Amino acid sequence: MPRRDDISTIMVLGSGPIVIGQAGEFDYSGTQGARALREEGYRVVLVNSNPATIMTDPSVADRTYVEPLDVESVEAIIELERPDALLPTLGGQTALNLAMDLSAAGVLERFGVELIGADVAAIRRAEDREVFRDTMAAAGLAVPENRVVSDMEAGRRAVAELGLPVILRPGFTLGGEGGGAAHTPEEFESMLEKALAASPISQVLIDRSLVGWAEIELEVVRDTADNAVIVCSIENIDPMGVHTGDSVTVAPVMTLTDPELQRLRDAAIAVIRAVGVSTGGANVQFALDRASGEMVVIEMNPRVSRSSALASKATGFPIAKIAARLAVGYTLDELPNEITGVTPASFEPSLDYVAVKIPRFAFEKVPGASSELTTHMKSVGEVLALGRTFGEAFGKAMSGRELDVRPRTPRDGAEALEILRTPSWDRYDVILWALANGVGEEAVREATHIDPWFLSQLGALAAARTAVGGSLDALDATALRTARRAGVVDRDIAVATGATELQVGERRRALGVRPTYHAVDTCAAEFEALTPYYYAGFEETIAPRSSSSARAPTGSGRGSSSTTAASTPPRRSATSAMRR
Amino acid sequence: MINCNPETVSTDHGVSDRLYLEPVTIDAVLDICAAEKPVGVIAQLGGQTPLRLARALAEAGVPVLGTTPAAIDLAEDRGSFGALLDRLGLKAPPWAVANGGEEALAAAERVGYPVLIRPSYVLGGRAMAICDSPEAVRAYIARERPEGVLLVDRFLENAVELDVDALSDGEECWTAAVMEHVEAAGVHSGDSACVLPAQSAGPGLIAELEEQTAALARGLGVVGLLNVQFAVLRDGSIYVIEANPRASRTIPFVAKATGVPLVRHAVRLMLGASLAELGLPVAAPQRHVAVKEAVLPFSRFTGADPVLGPEMRATGEVMGLGGSFAEAFAKAQRGAGQALPRSGTAFISARDADKPEAVALAARLARAGLELLATGGTATALAAAGLAVTRVHKISEGAPHVGDLIEQGAIDLVINTPQGGQGARTDGFEIRAAAIRAGIPCITTIEAGAAAAAAIAAGGAGYPRALQDGGRPTRPGRAFRPGPTVV
Repeated sequence: MPRRDDISTIMVLGSGPIVIGQAGEFDYSGTQGARALREEGYRVVLVNSNPATIMTDPSVADRTYVEPLDVESVEAIIELERPDALLPTLGGQTALNLAMDLSAAGVLERFGVELIGADVAAIRRAEDREVFRDTMAAAGLAVPENRVVSDMEAGRRAVAELGLPVILRPGFTLGGEGGGAAHTPEEFESMLEKALAASPISQVLIDRSLVGWAEIELEVVRDTADNAVIVCSIENIDPMGVHTGDSVTVAPVMTLTDPELQRLRDAAIAVIRAVGVSTGGANVQFALDRASGEMVVIEMNPRVSRSSALASKATGFPIAKIAARLAVGYTLDELPNEITGVTPASFEPSLDYVAVKIPRFAFEKVPGASSELTTHMKSVGEVLALGRTFGEAFGKAMSGRELDVRPRTPRDGAEALEILRTPSWDRYDVILWALANGVGEEAVREATHIDPWFLSQLGALAAARTAVGGSLDALDATALRTARRAGVVDRDIAVATGATELQVGERRRALGVRPTYHAVDTCAAEFEALTPYYYAGFEETIAPRSSSSARAPTGSGRGSSSTTAASTPPRRSATSAMRR
Repeated sequence: MINCNPETVSTDHGVSDRLYLEPVTIDAVLDICAAEKPVGVIAQLGGQTPLRLARALAEAGVPVLGTTPAAIDLAEDRGSFGALLDRLGLKAPPWAVANGGEEALAAAERVGYPVLIRPSYVLGGRAMAICDSPEAVRAYIARERPEGVLLVDRFLENAVELDVDALSDGEECWTAAVMEHVEAAGVHSGDSACVLPAQSAGPGLIAELEEQTAALARGLGVVGLLNVQFAVLRDGSIYVIEANPRASRTIPFVAKATGVPLVRHAVRLMLGASLAELGLPVAAPQRHVAVKEAVLPFSRFTGADPVLGPEMRATGEVMGLGGSFAEAFAKAQRGAGQALPRSGTAFISARDADKPEAVALAARLARAGLELLATGGTATALAAAGLAVTRVHKISEGAPHVGDLIEQGAIDLVINTPQGGQGARTDGFEIRAAAIRAGIPCITTIEAGAAAAAAIAAGGAGYPRALQDGGRPTRPGRAFRPGPTVV
């Protein structure tokens, strides 16, 4: 279906100030959405209280209001600007909740504003815990065994049936605020009280604890013609029990078998259909018991989420931009993929690299606060790194954290395992230390429940770091390249050799150990990439792509997805690519 | 564009000609420079992260555009920056450098109490403290066990802090904004609310601050953006607290409040344009009153005290626009999720030094129709001033106490300025924690309390203002244009 002509002015809601659980990702999605709608010729009215955003640059929307995101303020703006439609799915939980409040207050009806992207019924099916459970059951999908409670007495009954430990999740909150895992009856009492207070509808979901299960997320996009694509699959290396925003995650999924992944794909599409998000993106989270194969749906966000921003950057598929266009009537097959220019958006991205996201914490700023990682998100930012292998991407992401505080160095293996039993911000530094200092992978697995495949990869990274000890002058090109390929960055080599990071870089470059730049092309090199979006890899170069290339690093064996100065096409604007 | 944060607009592949999703480390940046051979690198728009790389980039032969790495270092280095201030005839609070905790006491004696003490290199004011006595310095050392060099500055009590953002081409300087912090000196600038234009500064002071900023811009050789923080004492004497020759945290706020695209201009300056070529107006447009308010993560971290101090803890910010300070401040509080009540009950508990202001703001709240609750000395002070106040128990005086009332929803606003520092288990801490739990606004400085009283007294929701309208409140009839616009 082509674009809708019956609407002309669209209001886009932002997500307000950066808070823990809601950071810059919604500036990215809102900016993309607003720009896409303007490119389609709509008049865009934007509301966001946060001036430190790109979306509030006056050039992004036709009308920009830096005003409070509450019903009173947005109603006044609706009265002034008379939008035909409201797109609430790009501004995180803040915008979604506000849209629900506007609907409940009768504002949307009074001014004839249509919700696009997700309707009130779909939002309720995804966000209201009880309705979601029934919706999933009707679609033949399991959810964690749980009870929805609205008071303390019902909570006590629920925990008697489910048994401890349990996970508490207050309804309608962002980042799991006010939730967490309760292990003892006393802990449960005090947490339930807090959780009931944290939920604006005084509703708390009490889940059977799935601590230790694998946590997998899928990003789904669906259109009005019921086409659905899986943009990205994301695996949480930290098992269930740590909020996905606080987990180290990797895309694509690394440890599942093909049948397991296909089962999750089918389930994710069934979820988006059942909830009824007819246009746009959604994030579906699953828990998987690797031993029994049992799979349950944890939750579904009927909107663009933090994971969507991550998936967009990890794959090159701009979820928010596509979601905005789907919301005004387009179907996936009508929208071209702007990176290849020849494939449609209904073409699922495929990755020939690994993307690793590592969260960044700032516990040092809030003395007295517990730094244990739980189902309640505490990170303040994140780093994404792409690499040819898991180890390379992981090592790069670790180096991008810009730590202000040093990770703990355990006295011995026993202390390391003790630290690892509780998820913490420096968990992976401690794992690498443990694996380098004689602690077995099996012991680490028992302490952390992390999948053995990841631990073997981390073991290889730890071994590669150990291998570069000694003097920097003793390291030749092969040793340096081997280290870099394994994910050991210059700073690690500097620490191991007592040299400075700059000295390592100088020697490395002098020996010709330079990265090859690969393009993120959404299609694993099946088509040529038009947009120059790159990441570095240190693999062996096979043959230069072009002898005339003087500036660029040598091309890799996979020509079409590597950059050389000679082969990089001129930049195209997103518009021209989209409008072809 | 080089960045590794997937949440940002900057890592969208449509924003730059070439995007490298790589860690912002010297290792990755030098490799990319070797491949791209750029005309130069811009390091002053990405906060501390790229600034830390600027010198190494310059040494590796990569041109750093705009303000030189040497000038950036000069502004960071106490000794040379102090010498520059002397040369320019500008004042800074007395300061000293101490090697480790032992020397800190002697340094504090030399500088004179109260002192602001911190490690020499920290982001966001971590491990920073205001100490008013040798005992406080000893306690700080015992608590933080600081390693390496410590900076000890005289802390200027009751000073008004002002922030100036400016553009410079190395010779000329153009002031984009002189902002005034709502909270007095001692609260980190990132955690303080601030208002543009400065409300208490007269034209003479503004002109003087602009002149000092221009002198610093020339003295440092700033090409691009410059932020200077000043402290002004009640006698009008001006002190330079710090100068940052880079995009500061306030740049987005100033750009939205004034409508001047500061970063665009700064980049043109870095690429060699002169200020005259930018065609800027003589003075930055003052379109309305804009208030920036910090958003703090206290509801996330149970156990943390919401008192503001020299360490920055804000995660984000909001802006409120209005025709008056009161309207803008009220909107900013709403945006920050701390909507001020328009009626109901306010609880006030102020330390002794704040009592005169507490009485004034309580009177204002009472006139606006709010009921007043207070404990102990504050209740006595309010009653002595003839205000109708209900005395309630402190938490330590036993139930029914103020904590119970907060929990029951009987209080709509808490103004609590701490007596002696922050920390667990004090009465004030329990009150503040209860307010955070109950989700009611909790104000911990007397200046913000006064601003809140002014905002409540002004009443109403204010008018929405679209940035495209040049600061005018948007009223029905003008905003509504039917039909799609042509792009």
